[in-house]
Amino acid sequence: MSAPSANALDRVQSGLAALNPKSIAARDGMPAFEIEAEQVREACRLLRDACGFETNTFVTAIDHFPAEPRFELFWQFLSVQHNDRVRLSARVTGAHPHVASIGDLYPGTQYSERECYDMFGVVFDGHTSHAGGLKRLLMPEGYDHFPLRKDFPHQGIEPDKLYNAWFQRRFERHEREHADV
Amino acid sequence: MPTFEYAPGLLPPRAKPSGGGADGDDPLHGELLELNMGPQHPATHGVLRILVELDGETIARIEPEVGYLHRGKEKTCESLGWRKFFVHTDRLDYVQPLMNNVGYALALEKLGGVTVPERGQIIRVLLCELSRIGSHLIYLATTGIDLGAVTMFFFCFKQRETLYDLLDAYTGHRMNNTYVRIGGVYADVDERVQDAIEQWIAQFPAAVDEFEKMLTGNRIWYDRNHGIGAITKEQALAWSLNGPNLRGSGCDFDLRKAQPYSGYERYDFEVAVGTGGDCYDRYLVSIEEMRQSARIVQQCLKLLKETKGGEFLAEDRRYVLPPKDLVRSSMEELIHQFKIVTDMALPKGSAYHGIESSKGELGFFVASDGTSTPLRCHIRAPGLMNVQAIPMVAMGRLFSDMVSLIGSLDFVMGEVDR
Amino acid sequence: MGSLKPVDEATTQEGFLATRVDELINWGRKNSLWPMPLGLSCCGIELMAMIGPKFDLARFGAEAARFSPRQCDLMVVAGTLTWKMAEAARVIYDQMPDPKWVIAMGVCSSSGGMYDSYSVVQGVDMILPVDVYVPGCPPRPDAVIDAIIKLQRKIEREQPLKARLSGANLDHGIGSKAFVRAPNHSVPTRGSHAVLPPGELAP
Repeated sequence: MSAPSANALDRVQSGLAALNPKSIAARDGMPAFEIEAEQVREACRLLRDACGFETNTFVTAIDHFPAEPRFELFWQFLSVQHNDRVRLSARVTGAHPHVASIGDLYPGTQYSERECYDMFGVVFDGHTSHAGGLKRLLMPEGYDHFPLRKDFPHQGIEPDKLYNAWFQRRFERHEREHADV
Repeated sequence: MPTFEYAPGLLPPRAKPSGGGADGDDPLHGELLELNMGPQHPATHGVLRILVELDGETIARIEPEVGYLHRGKEKTCESLGWRKFFVHTDRLDYVQPLMNNVGYALALEKLGGVTVPERGQIIRVLLCELSRIGSHLIYLATTGIDLGAVTMFFFCFKQRETLYDLLDAYTGHRMNNTYVRIGGVYADVDERVQDAIEQWIAQFPAAVDEFEKMLTGNRIWYDRNHGIGAITKEQALAWSLNGPNLRGSGCDFDLRKAQPYSGYERYDFEVAVGTGGDCYDRYLVSIEEMRQSARIVQQCLKLLKETKGGEFLAEDRRYVLPPKDLVRSSMEELIHQFKIVTDMALPKGSAYHGIESSKGELGFFVASDGTSTPLRCHIRAPGLMNVQAIPMVAMGRLFSDMVSLIGSLDFVMGEVDR
Repeated sequence: MGSLKPVDEATTQEGFLATRVDELINWGRKNSLWPMPLGLSCCGIELMAMIGPKFDLARFGAEAARFSPRQCDLMVVAGTLTWKMAEAARVIYDQMPDPKWVIAMGVCSSSGGMYDSYSVVQGVDMILPVDVYVPGCPPRPDAVIDAIIKLQRKIEREQPLKARLSGANLDHGIGSKAFVRAPNHSVPTRGSHAVLPPGELAP
């Protein structure tokens, strides 16, 4: 992986030169850059059009609670034609975490963005997908918490709340419908 | 969706007009029907729920709903620690547990800077390829049932049972083996197990021929797969598809060749590439991958004979447990063991490693803050991307095609939902 | 059954007729279990292996797996049940006609197992009554076959005729209140999420 990475570093550095990204020495030797959260869309567009990264590998976040800015977001891309990878990162604050969606540039990120919202509560502005707007992916709709935040306990908070409410509604409806039996 | 109760109107606004599915003589054309499929349905390969709106026989709108098997694995890693999470990686894609182990171990080794001894790498490749065969067998068996070829289930499970027995003899459990450790594997391969694997793999290509005899030229199988769910190379790349789904579309990209890990560069094998990107191509790619895996397994067995008695586990006392007999006799090793079990910390930083799993690129993105509590372990699941592609491919197609489509995209919900 | 004449208590408890009819019904029930494989995760694969050629569940009369709950009387919960899936599992259970039994296959469905996390039900007995628990992660198919044999022993001891004649409302159709049944309260559950108190749900 080391040989193609050097090539990717130059390519991305020249491709993203206008945005002045900060190069990070990642432990796995992958070219990694930190950019401003406002520039993410532009950077991803440049990566796709100027640097030949066709595929998004994942979008995810790290919660640095209680440090601020709290969330560190990651986008990793793979170039099949050049056989190399690049990783972008950006920090957003914990008060109103939001960043531009790249779902229209890379349609493969739609579920990743929904998952990131589901798990961390990071809002992807302008997210459009076949599923409509940005909504939860893994946890049920109506769930109150963002489970992968560091201040959320592993065992959860009232994990059965939605189920019990559903069961109660169902039971009451059944009682109503069969009151005469 | 707040409740499980199915109510019409749950689907999002229609994305694009329907058309191009059923023939013009579909008597039900223009009649809209909302249909709920799953989460408990034999054709959804697990607990996937699919909401469909049908226009006659044609799919007008479709939305997969995942998360019915979300077990909070990434959170679990943060509370368990790096070592104990190995058992959880097994249950990700539970038809190929050992491959998940390898992917996770490789990511941790990259972060920690551990080198795996040669024999350890060979055993890992052996386990990976056996897992790949097992996974493709499940794909064939379940897709076969869905499309009416129920015999495939018995043919494939006959082979898979033997594979289970071999893994049972080697690792001690039929599935969810947890056999890979940071720095290598838990124990060396027994020679009798090696011989048994050799015998089994020698007859395996003939079994694949048998599968092919049943399916490849089969008129029903051909008609129900050929031209169904075609994905172009550009679409596959944009929608983050990897593995057989990308190679079926004619893109010659295999991480084992492109970015070799665990010494894959020393094995002689071909990458199967399709042309049309439809279900039939993906089927052919999977069949060919089983043959190539069998070739790799044979080479592994040969290499294992050459490296007999070699190290299979790195002697890196930061992360690798010392042998038990040394722990009982040496104070230093006891301290090592205690340190590793109680608070094994990985160096500060982040690392990603992707391996070529049977369904695509299985990646682990691990980040550590230098303490023994993991900061983050993100699992890049190929299955999630495959589920994501369902609407893209199924929209405007016949409803009956969706069964072969879901089968051929090949995902396992344990990995999709994590 | 409804056309049978009422029999007084003493006769039903020890009477020759009731014992023999019970035996016949139980013999029929235990040897023709129709499993409903609720294959949720890893255990589902072992469940497939159990039905497959080597372990061949047909030897115990329970190979007719149907994916429609309306045709089944044995639910095998194979795998991790999440709270999101729990609603579906409960609906499926309620849709099964009586008499019905449940096997919790694997530690996840028995007790939550290794998943002590925010999304996993800590044992299906929180939402359903369970007859047999099978440990293992996943249990080997032999273990599940053993569970089915144990369930057959349990069915042998049931007294369907007595229950019918004692006047209990066994008409568990959708039209009866009894279709919402209280879970197994004899099983200790952790935390506050034991379901509603039995008095509110019992028929």
